[in-house]
Amino acid sequence: MKKFKKYLKIWWIMSKNSFVMVISQKLSLFIFLIGKIIRFGFFFIFLFFILKGSNTLAGYSGTQVIFFFLTFNIIDVISQFLFREVYRFRPMIVNGDFDFVLVKPISSLFRVLLGGADVVDLITIPPLIIATIYFGSLLQPNFAEVLLYLALLLNGFVIATAFHIVVLSLAILTTEIDHMVMIYRDITSLGRLPVDIYKQPLQMFLTYLIPVGVMITLPAKAAMGALSLWGIVSAFGIGLLAMFVALRFWNHALTKYTSASS
Amino acid sequence: MRKYLQIFKISFQEEFAYRLNFILWRVRNVFQILLTFFLWSTVFANPGTVIFGYDRSKILTYVFGIMIVRALVMSARAADIASDIAQGDLSNYLLKPITYFRYWFTRDVSSKALNLIFASVEFVLLFIILRPSFYLQTNPGTLVIFFVSIILAVFIYFFILIVVSSLTFWAPEMSWGGHFLITIVLVEALSGALFPINILPAPAQSVVMATPFPYLIYFPVQVYLGQITGQAMLGGLMIAAAWAGILWFSMNFIWRKGLRVYESTGR
Repeated sequence: MKKFKKYLKIWWIMSKNSFVMVISQKLSLFIFLIGKIIRFGFFFIFLFFILKGSNTLAGYSGTQVIFFFLTFNIIDVISQFLFREVYRFRPMIVNGDFDFVLVKPISSLFRVLLGGADVVDLITIPPLIIATIYFGSLLQPNFAEVLLYLALLLNGFVIATAFHIVVLSLAILTTEIDHMVMIYRDITSLGRLPVDIYKQPLQMFLTYLIPVGVMITLPAKAAMGALSLWGIVSAFGIGLLAMFVALRFWNHALTKYTSASS
Repeated sequence: MRKYLQIFKISFQEEFAYRLNFILWRVRNVFQILLTFFLWSTVFANPGTVIFGYDRSKILTYVFGIMIVRALVMSARAADIASDIAQGDLSNYLLKPITYFRYWFTRDVSSKALNLIFASVEFVLLFIILRPSFYLQTNPGTLVIFFVSIILAVFIYFFILIVVSSLTFWAPEMSWGGHFLITIVLVEALSGALFPINILPAPAQSVVMATPFPYLIYFPVQVYLGQITGQAMLGGLMIAAAWAGILWFSMNFIWRKGLRVYESTGR
């Protein structure tokens, strides 16, 4: 508990510093905020008109498709808010500045994963949650389905965290990679819509191998009462396995750090 | 001319210096195409479906067309001008016996050539794997207009990149922000890369078509598909040419004003 409080305090200080830096550039903050809102709005409009033309998508109603999209955004935006530092990690490796992180008496993974919370994403989280609750309520889930949705959403965050740890590890192993975190974003963006729209074997690949389906589609399906017991058990199993593999990979990557340029 | 040929060669080789990075960039493009392809493929699951004036083969050709047109139009390096201005690196180029815009246009052409090669390979591979219905345009006149619209799109995009980058003269901290808002968010949505503009209601379509963005992807692909013909096609070409002219004047005007306030910060 004492350790948890210590890390919470460190996270708070790091986040506060990060916020101050961003807020000091008000024009930049405004532009990025507007850009993110417009991007969200355009995809929403796109979905709206597609559903207006086709009525359903892979058997899902308009409200259900929008709920899938909002669930994707919840996981995507909160991950970006918490893990923004991952996007700045590669220069740290290339310059050898990661040395300064390693010598400090805190977990190096904690520092590079959670060291720079993003205020722009924080601003967009409350309206997103309100929209998700609104469209979720239209699906009329019962109490158990809501609880299951929240538990699977948490499981989705565990998988998202595992993904970010793998990206960090790959940055240590191959300093060449600039686009790795964006590849993660592109893969997860395939979950903006239910994975049922993809053909096999891509659907299987997205459900189990790169578990975008488990991260995003399954929580939303749970709220719709369309999930089997096997689906629930395997989702949590995949979440735990993903985190276990990511942490082992990180420990392996640390042993390969060469402290280049330092 | 010879020096620009050398710049072309060096830029081409530079892309290969970070091979994995480049390949991952192409992989990203494939993922974006997959989402759009499967989405439309699901909407047009029944072969007889016609929505927004598209049948299955035309909408899937539109998705595949995006891949090639995007590689030709939107593969560009000129967005880096913003960081040149912000970090003062622009001074190095101003002292050299080259025309700065031609230098970046040459680098853009090199990037387009490389991306087109890869996009063509991806096109063939995805075509073999996904086996979409495909609309083949055979009218030579339409194909000529299609290529002219691509050339105009290349220039429009280049001018947009320089205009947006030039804003860095007045707001150096905005070097990436301006490109995020305009060349990523707005261009992505309004160029037709995300969805064909004609799925929007008529008034919204009119507003979007009055901007330069749809002439980057939507218009050339629509010309290829034969969705825009006759006077509408010529009218569209004229609007694209007008936008290229307006942006060219704006680019020169803003650039000249910008150079006057440029302080070579960081040098």
